[in-house]
Amino acid sequence: MELRTEGYIFLIASWSFIIGLLIFCYKKVLFDKKKD
Amino acid sequence: MATNNERENWGSRIGLILAVAGNAVGLGNFLRFPVQAAQNGGGAFMIPYFIFFLILGIPLMWIEWGIGRHGGKYKHGSTPGMFDALWKNRAAKYFGSFGLFISFIILVYYTYLTSWTLGFSFFSITKMYFGLENFSDMKSFLYSYQGREVSSSFSNITPAYIFMILTFAANFFVLYKGVSKGIEKLAKIALPALFIFAIIIAIRVFTLGTPNQNLPENSIMSGFAFIWNPDLSSLGDPKIWLAAAGQIFFTLSVGMGAIQAYASYLRPKDDIVLSGLTTATTNEFAEVILGGSIAIPIAVAFFGVTITTQMAAGGAFDLGFATLPLVFERLPFGQIFGFMWFLLLFFAGITSSVAMGQPIIAFLEDEFGLSKKKAVASIATLTFICIQFVVFYLKYGVLNEMDYWAGTFGLVVFALFEIIIFMWIFGSENAFEELNRGGDIKIPIIFKYIMKYITPMVLIIIIAWWLIQDAIPIFLLKGVSDENIPYIIGTRIGMVLLIIGIFYLVHTAWKKRGTKWN
Repeated sequence: MELRTEGYIFLIASWSFIIGLLIFCYKKVLFDKKKD
Repeated sequence: MATNNERENWGSRIGLILAVAGNAVGLGNFLRFPVQAAQNGGGAFMIPYFIFFLILGIPLMWIEWGIGRHGGKYKHGSTPGMFDALWKNRAAKYFGSFGLFISFIILVYYTYLTSWTLGFSFFSITKMYFGLENFSDMKSFLYSYQGREVSSSFSNITPAYIFMILTFAANFFVLYKGVSKGIEKLAKIALPALFIFAIIIAIRVFTLGTPNQNLPENSIMSGFAFIWNPDLSSLGDPKIWLAAAGQIFFTLSVGMGAIQAYASYLRPKDDIVLSGLTTATTNEFAEVILGGSIAIPIAVAFFGVTITTQMAAGGAFDLGFATLPLVFERLPFGQIFGFMWFLLLFFAGITSSVAMGQPIIAFLEDEFGLSKKKAVASIATLTFICIQFVVFYLKYGVLNEMDYWAGTFGLVVFALFEIIIFMWIFGSENAFEELNRGGDIKIPIIFKYIMKYITPMVLIIIIAWWLIQDAIPIFLLKGVSDENIPYIIGTRIGMVLLIIGIFYLVHTAWKKRGTKWN
């Protein structure tokens, strides 16, 4: 069984979505100034 | 983070995020998800999976953080008091009682499940199962350890009992140390360690290539193809959508009363929007990226798609505890990778099981004024008594019965209760204002409508479907052997008595409060 192009697309899209969201969240949690 | 009067508080925001993420990241991230994806359309499964992440997972996560922080304002760390604070009706606290029932039942059997991972990490480092050549021998090793059969490896349940005691003691030690010095400290050690172990194993998996050159079709890429090659025609099948909704629901550990308990130790204006989103995303990283890159790809690389499918058909536990040990035997330094694999599962398990203990301990502390020591001692004693039934009657289906009614069906029903109380009775305007208060980011307005209409509708569809498909046949004992029936009925009676006991405690607490403070 070979990983087809559509498989790569789904894998890369899913991973990118999660990693993008993760970077967005942790950047805000760790580095953005808190109001308090 | 400052204190919320005399109640405990979190030491840091990142500690709280890791603690809630630790609650969500469990054995299912590494064992259940890859099997579900492979069996339900491969890459195509990710379409409904992410849709439900947005319309079911994230909204419920925010709602539970919101209910918890709101309840904490009134010094309630468990759902009976939290529901009572949202809905001025004498029934509210009894609906909330199910949050105590569900988390306690899960605590009981999850402690035992977690202890298996501790046992297997010991058996890996000592190479105890090395030499067992095939799947049936490895399954026999697992089943005899669990006391379901006798084999040359284990003639009785003593080793499993010892690891259960160790896990149980670790669990309650952490709970006794409290929110900041116990749960938060554990999360700050266990979560990073879990991620480091998982990344090391995933890197090893990526570099495996084709372990047996004579079988080029058995490769890591075949494993990824098995999970990710999309079968787009499957999207027309409602079962795939329900499987995705179920996976999102279970992976985030919502509907248990634990997230609310953790969030109750926040101040009224601490952010919950960004923190809730961060915990959900951390869980997804563990599940989709790490969980999807270990168990199935490595099993396919060594045994091929057909045999892996057969092995996984026995359930996620067979994949994790019988298939993967066979792989570790065949890897250089396999005992180290086996040790890391089971220890990461142990960390995933124990951070979840302490979360299950916190609501009922908070209940005794907040509603009865018990000291931490007394509350932990009471719950530890009750848990220890109940866990005996799980350990000794496992082969009669006691654990599965508890898992179905509390850990599967019960969660979804409880989530529906809380969303109705929060979004409909407390009111969507109040709820949305409550959620956004102190938020470092604002929840997009569309989520107000998703939370009010779409999320409960999805929950109702899941409940209706499962009621017809599973709950009614399971309730009527369809397919249960005659030998198991008394144990299953006994388990049900036990659970009903537990619910009645919790109702009584809730009733007593409110009665006491009425005469004391009103």
